Amino acid sequence: MATDHARGPLQASSPHRRKIVARLNARLKPSARKPSGQLSARLRARGEFSFGGGLAVARYSLGNGLGILLLADHSAPVLSYHTWFRVGSKHEKRGKTGLAHLFEHLMFGETEQLRKGQLDRLIETAGGETNAATWVDWTHYHSELPASELPLVVRIEADRMQHLVLRKPQVVSEKEVVANERRYRVDDDIEGQVSELLYSTAFTRHPYSWPTIGWMKDIEGFTTEDCEHFYRTYYAPNNATLVVAGDIEEEQVLSLVQEHYGAIPASRIPQLKAEAEPPQRKERHHVLRLPTPTAKVALGYHAPSFGDADYPALSLLSEVLFGGRSSRLFGRLVRDEELVADLHGSASPFVDPGLYEIWLSLRPGKDLPTALRIVETELSRLRDQLVPQSELDKVKNRVELGFLQGLETTGGRAEQLGFFETVAGDAEALFQRLEALRAVKPRDIQRVARRVFETRRRTRIEVVPSGEVEP
Amino acid sequence: MINRTERFVTPSGTVLLVEESHALPLVHIGVSLRTGSVHDPRGAEGLFRTTARLLRMGSRGRSAGEVEERIDALGAQLSIGCAPSYIHFGGVVVASNLEPFFALVGQLLTAPALRNQDLARVRRETLAELSSLCDDDRSLAARHFRAFAFGKHPYGRPVMGTTASVSRVTRQAVLSHYEKHFVAGNVVVGMAGAVDSERAQELVAKHLRFAPGQPPAESVAAPRMPKGRRVLIVDKPERTQTQILIGTLGTQVDDPDHTALQVANTIFGGLFTARLTHEVRSKRGLSYGASSSLGHDRVRELWSMWTFPAAKEARACIDLQLGLFDTLVKDGVKPSELRIAKSFLTKSHAFEIDTAAKRLDQAVETEIFELPADYHSGFLARVAAVTRGDANAALKKRLSRRNQTIVVVATAKEVRKQLAAIPKVHEVQVVPFSRV
Repeated sequence: MATDHARGPLQASSPHRRKIVARLNARLKPSARKPSGQLSARLRARGEFSFGGGLAVARYSLGNGLGILLLADHSAPVLSYHTWFRVGSKHEKRGKTGLAHLFEHLMFGETEQLRKGQLDRLIETAGGETNAATWVDWTHYHSELPASELPLVVRIEADRMQHLVLRKPQVVSEKEVVANERRYRVDDDIEGQVSELLYSTAFTRHPYSWPTIGWMKDIEGFTTEDCEHFYRTYYAPNNATLVVAGDIEEEQVLSLVQEHYGAIPASRIPQLKAEAEPPQRKERHHVLRLPTPTAKVALGYHAPSFGDADYPALSLLSEVLFGGRSSRLFGRLVRDEELVADLHGSASPFVDPGLYEIWLSLRPGKDLPTALRIVETELSRLRDQLVPQSELDKVKNRVELGFLQGLETTGGRAEQLGFFETVAGDAEALFQRLEALRAVKPRDIQRVARRVFETRRRTRIEVVPSGEVEP
Repeated sequence: MINRTERFVTPSGTVLLVEESHALPLVHIGVSLRTGSVHDPRGAEGLFRTTARLLRMGSRGRSAGEVEERIDALGAQLSIGCAPSYIHFGGVVVASNLEPFFALVGQLLTAPALRNQDLARVRRETLAELSSLCDDDRSLAARHFRAFAFGKHPYGRPVMGTTASVSRVTRQAVLSHYEKHFVAGNVVVGMAGAVDSERAQELVAKHLRFAPGQPPAESVAAPRMPKGRRVLIVDKPERTQTQILIGTLGTQVDDPDHTALQVANTIFGGLFTARLTHEVRSKRGLSYGASSSLGHDRVRELWSMWTFPAAKEARACIDLQLGLFDTLVKDGVKPSELRIAKSFLTKSHAFEIDTAAKRLDQAVETEIFELPADYHSGFLARVAAVTRGDANAALKKRLSRRNQTIVVVATAKEVRKQLAAIPKVHEVQVVPFSRV
């Protein structure tokens, strides 16, 4: 299936964009032209690439290291403003887990210019919505607003990047909120509990072993000083990328960004030396007894990172097994044998090697070993036999549909660009990934299946009904 | 550059809505019926959903497996949504495969196989889903909340059905239901994306020929709320947290008070800075989420508020919520709050119409609920016209301070005593969570 997103290599910035930059740099005030100020606020055009549909992504940077990606699309009067920081839970230490996530909450608090709650109030009064997310490798802030509200969001985001005020009462209150979030997502959620145990068992050294939300005792123990130190260490322009998409004029965005972010100094970001995970040589296994009517199992196989050349083939392999109702495991476990009520599988999209996860939730009274045997048979089949080309073409069509759906909204486009910039190291890799998926051959699937699906490199978490529930 | 949705009616009475956009090489399609689970006969809850899911299990000459293989091979997705007042078959496909996908959907909906063995399979799948529902505390709360609030009114019937009712569904019941509801005059077709209206009309004429007929003339009476403040505990072991839904009747979609109540709800629990969220989450950290919502349907739906505090703080959170609600209805909204809510609703409207698929959704809803043609386009003017007096009058007129339903998913032995002591509670029921 062809789309109009095929594209060539990164191009140099057009003369038009270079002129914009020259104009904006020329107007820097004398005070900002001191060596440090001038360096910090000086814009550079760093190339552009096609986004398809006649659209283009322009890349810029500020002298202080802030990355900027702009995607102008005038089809609706809205904009998305995303800030991606290259800090996540893997940058934490044992005993201080959950700090990146708690900090994400605190970023909606007080600044030197805004009272507590005023940030949300300003965004909402402007007709916008704002939120954030934290995972192992990154923290991501996003606002969706009417296009006319660009100056507001630039001012707010630049302000909280440099002028956040952290006080004890807010930290204490937000710790309570996060503790409640943890109860919701983990403690009272079976899949949440299992996922936490899966990663903490599969990883013994690497920071992916602890949950992004943090262990409860760590959440309870955070101090205002912990939060202040985290902010000063990681929240700096040279650790972030802005992505602005929608009904925007590039010169206006750049002018505002230069004005509001230009004076923020770069920081020395510590190099993360995450301990490499030693190879797993034996299957690891835990059993949880929980109040549920049916048995469940999670499997985690050590798997390549998102940037690994095998990741596209792993994504398609996952579709062969779990993608849609015609997939192999849906067909066997749900349709034919009627053993399973719910199932899914996916590779973790992480900077460092993660897991390929499989989840099965059985039907009442059904036998877990039988379901596991079927999974293992299908994994063996992928290792031993080539996937027919027609089946591969089918899953490629599904993946391409998902890709296009991810780009339907302005927010979806900004998110994809920011994710690829942060995790793959280059926003342009978004479209290179599509090309790589199209190029996958049956033998690539087989090679990846042989690389990943080894039982000795697997962690297995089983859930057994605790007996308090009638099946 | 936002288009207007085009509307056509086929000779047999099917409405076609088209929203053309070539932003991406995708087409969204939707086939909706003007009837839904409120038309399930009493004791046969889940019949509509079972029927809809059975349609996906194959057409004459094509098995369920072949259907799924074909959908995936075309680079398409098909989903089925069931609601009290409508059924929706939604699909999305790459534009180059629109016709084969639409033809397949047409076969499934107009020439279904409705095989007995497939019905048995759908029943078993649904029973498994009902069992899985027990693992999801939030869904459990929502299901019990509607049933407890609406009682015997059709809105109280679970869309999925119950273990007992789904087990009883027969092929004959499905066939009768199909013949009654899947008729041309009961269908609204929508297409959005890389398709023009001429092509859309051709596709409908060629592939979607339902039997002639009009929707059944069965109207649903306005629901009435049981008297007083009642509590239902959905008892589940080992809960560290509770899921709490509190509500009362709200408005119907064409109620003259509906927009004013939407504005008031935005002030109370529709924003992150709203009263409820501010008091429960931001000020006290009692719950990760705290929001309120106003349902909309042909007859009066529920207004409700949702929180999920730790088990030990459930009572404190409920007391706080009830107090905030009482103050809202009694004292009304402040001018500054009204200004912010109206500003949010007006300015954020751009996000309701920023994609072709969203614009189509609005047009389909207008058809399904038989709303005036300018219902959505007139939203901004209606919001602008809401005064403080309108909002406060709507609150007093529509939201009862006396008749309230409270549903809590929790470990009953840990919360029962404290919930029974909530002022003015005259009834506390407990049901095991596994009873679905």
